[in-house]
Amino acid sequence: MNIKGSPWKGSLLLLLVSDLLLCQSVAPLPICPGGAARCQVTLGDLFDRAVVLSHYIHNLSSEMFSEFDKRYTHGRGFITKAINSCHTSSLATPEDKEQAQQINQKDFLSLIVSILRSWNEPLYHLVTEVRGMQEAPETILSKAVEIEEQTKRLLEGMELIVSQVHPETKENEIYPVWSGLPSLQMADEESRLSAYYNLLHCLRRDSHKIDNYLKLLKCRIIHNNNC
Amino acid sequence: MKENVASATIFTLLLFLNTCLLNGQLPPGKPEIFKCRSPNKETFTCWWRPGTDGGLPTNYSLTYHREGETLMHECPDYITGGPNSCHFGKQYTSMWRTYIMMVNATNQMGSSFSDELYVDVTYIVQPDPPLELAVEVKKPEDRKPYLWIKWSPPTLIDLKTGWFTLLYEIRLKPEKAAEWEIHFAGQQTEFKILSLHPGQKYLVQVRCKPDHGYWSAWSPETFIQIPSDFTMNDTTVWISVAVLSAVICLIIVWAVALKGYSMVTCIFPPVPGPKIKGFDAHLLEKGKSEELLSALGCQDFPPTSDYEDLLVEYLEVDDSEDQHLMSVHSKEHPSQGMKPTYLDPDTDSGRGSCDSPSLLSEKCEEPQANPSTFYDPEVIEKPENPETTHTWDPQCISTEGKIPYFHAGGSKCSTWPLPQPSQHNPRSSYHNITDVCELAVGPAGAPATLLNEAGKDALKSSQTIKSREEGKATQQREVESFHSKTDQDTPWLLPQEKTPFGSAKPLDYVEIHKVNKDGALSLLPKQRENSSQPKKPGTPENNKEYAKVSGVMDNNILVLVPDPHSKNVACFEESAKEAPPSLEQNQAEKALANFTATSSKCRLQLGGLDYLDPACFTHSFH
Repeated sequence: MNIKGSPWKGSLLLLLVSDLLLCQSVAPLPICPGGAARCQVTLGDLFDRAVVLSHYIHNLSSEMFSEFDKRYTHGRGFITKAINSCHTSSLATPEDKEQAQQINQKDFLSLIVSILRSWNEPLYHLVTEVRGMQEAPETILSKAVEIEEQTKRLLEGMELIVSQVHPETKENEIYPVWSGLPSLQMADEESRLSAYYNLLHCLRRDSHKIDNYLKLLKCRIIHNNNC
Repeated sequence: MKENVASATIFTLLLFLNTCLLNGQLPPGKPEIFKCRSPNKETFTCWWRPGTDGGLPTNYSLTYHREGETLMHECPDYITGGPNSCHFGKQYTSMWRTYIMMVNATNQMGSSFSDELYVDVTYIVQPDPPLELAVEVKKPEDRKPYLWIKWSPPTLIDLKTGWFTLLYEIRLKPEKAAEWEIHFAGQQTEFKILSLHPGQKYLVQVRCKPDHGYWSAWSPETFIQIPSDFTMNDTTVWISVAVLSAVICLIIVWAVALKGYSMVTCIFPPVPGPKIKGFDAHLLEKGKSEELLSALGCQDFPPTSDYEDLLVEYLEVDDSEDQHLMSVHSKEHPSQGMKPTYLDPDTDSGRGSCDSPSLLSEKCEEPQANPSTFYDPEVIEKPENPETTHTWDPQCISTEGKIPYFHAGGSKCSTWPLPQPSQHNPRSSYHNITDVCELAVGPAGAPATLLNEAGKDALKSSQTIKSREEGKATQQREVESFHSKTDQDTPWLLPQEKTPFGSAKPLDYVEIHKVNKDGALSLLPKQRENSSQPKKPGTPENNKEYAKVSGVMDNNILVLVPDPHSKNVACFEESAKEAPPSLEQNQAEKALANFTATSSKCRLQLGGLDYLDPACFTHSFH
């Protein structure tokens, strides 16, 4: 899903401008998302919501992966083929605490947004493909649907945060593109299962990454590294 | 030949193998990495299990490479984690990256490799247990005590930057309980337990978990003794109190049983019977009533001739006054032919007023100009009849307050006529409603003269006294008063009481003595049986006994009717506020008609009873 050309962008900007005009008495950062009746959503509230969403998404992803592995691929060494299979590995993401503390706030936020954006399409196809499967596993499908929806919300929230913290940020549309759709549609079951395994494996990892990053940023921005 | 060579070779190999086995030297067995853990997402440690021992010293080495890298690395730290472990320090630890590692066991005989293990630090996080578990019983003043549990996160975990997020859980139980009570504490490092069993020893433990990872081990047990709460021990106290009180009750019951009656009398003294000073109950038994009664101080019992003294004090007839009244009345109401009828030359009755020669003359007071005054208690004078043992003056005086409307126009408070000392007729009590129970003449101009409330009370009190003296029938006749005042709602009524006594005794009557110009009605007591009864003024004929109230007209005018059937004067008592329901207007009108026919008939006599029908006056006065 390409956000760049979507009508969301324009409407979101319009809402933001109107809300900023309307809500004058919000401290510390005046923001009125979505034209809500109460224009009192602070940055802290936004981060809290984002953390809740990211935590939730990772829990869903972890459960979904466990269910899939247990049902289809356990003990069959699919993990070996999942090495270096994530499409977001091209992103220079911090891998430990020191690296995360070295990255600046703005880049950090952009990074998170890129990861989220890069997952819009794979999630969409995941839902489509699982739904079209014969004997579709209902639990996996429901979780996939939920993850897709919540990821969208998280992305919107992140974009709000970015607009608040770094309003001057130019829209960065660069994000890793997923091209694993053909693999999901392969006739060979082994290959197909491997493709699903890789997708779910990467989803679990990236959701954990986003959750950890957001918790780091929340403590850094809101609590000044004093959580 | 060839077969021999083959078998020889096999035999040699087996021999060699046997020799080796006998020596116990084999390459090491295959090790296995069974566990990797990271306590803080910054380091991690892996442990392997060595394979079978080859009998020779075996070296283990762990080698790994990471996802996206091809370079093999060896374990940087074999020591920190203990034997057969590999510890990865901060610089070797990466999140969100798969580690592929294996262990190589080597001995002289050979080596063996373990299987590869794919490890992602992200999913092997398990912290150490929390530290510094502190448990305390806190007792706030106005609340029940609670358990305050506090702990610290394990060391080496970075919570401040948000890199690590910890969630806690505590559990506690009484020492001898079977099951734990588990509470999730979230991210807080303190907790309150409010439901406690006092007097018990509790075990408390806490553990923690990362936001995504494994629970830590439980912390070491901490013991805490909950102090016994006094309120919880109340049952013991109450039981002891109950036992003590039961014992005390038993002792009391035993003492009572022993002492018996004396104790009871001590606690509940008998009610003393009535005792009259100087009264000897034995006299009663002997039948000496005289002595007995003298002891009682009862001089007039059984009633003697002094009985009259008691009864006669209500009314006072004043001859001179009457004359005045009459004269006045005659002037203004020439048509009033009743006047002469009221003049009662009877002297033997207990008029006790000026009429009676035996009475003091000071009572003869001029009728006051104010017709509205009836009872003037201040004017009341005691009849100074030495024989009188009772005076009713107090009655008169006491009724002052009850006479709002009546003013003694007729001067004196009508004390009941004093008993004539010459008269020994015990029944010569009468009531003389002299004076002018005048009503202020209102627009109606109704004359009604009657006894006022004071007189009523006096009558009543006299009645009570009479009741004490049995054998004396006293009758009070009252003439209903007419409501003549506009502002006076309560007509004057003569309270009438049915005599409780039979007709065995002569009755006292009231006769109209005179009527003055203002309608004041003076009544004279009259004695029925007295043969020497003075002639009644007016015609003795047409004497009717008006013992009944025939009806009440408007303005509360009571109409009396003759009652030929009644021998005695029916004491009727009516108050101005009460309307006799049993009477009919027709009778009243008839009675009125009768009265108006002959003025002289107002005074009727039946059986020696003279009544005065105020209805007469009503018409006469109008």
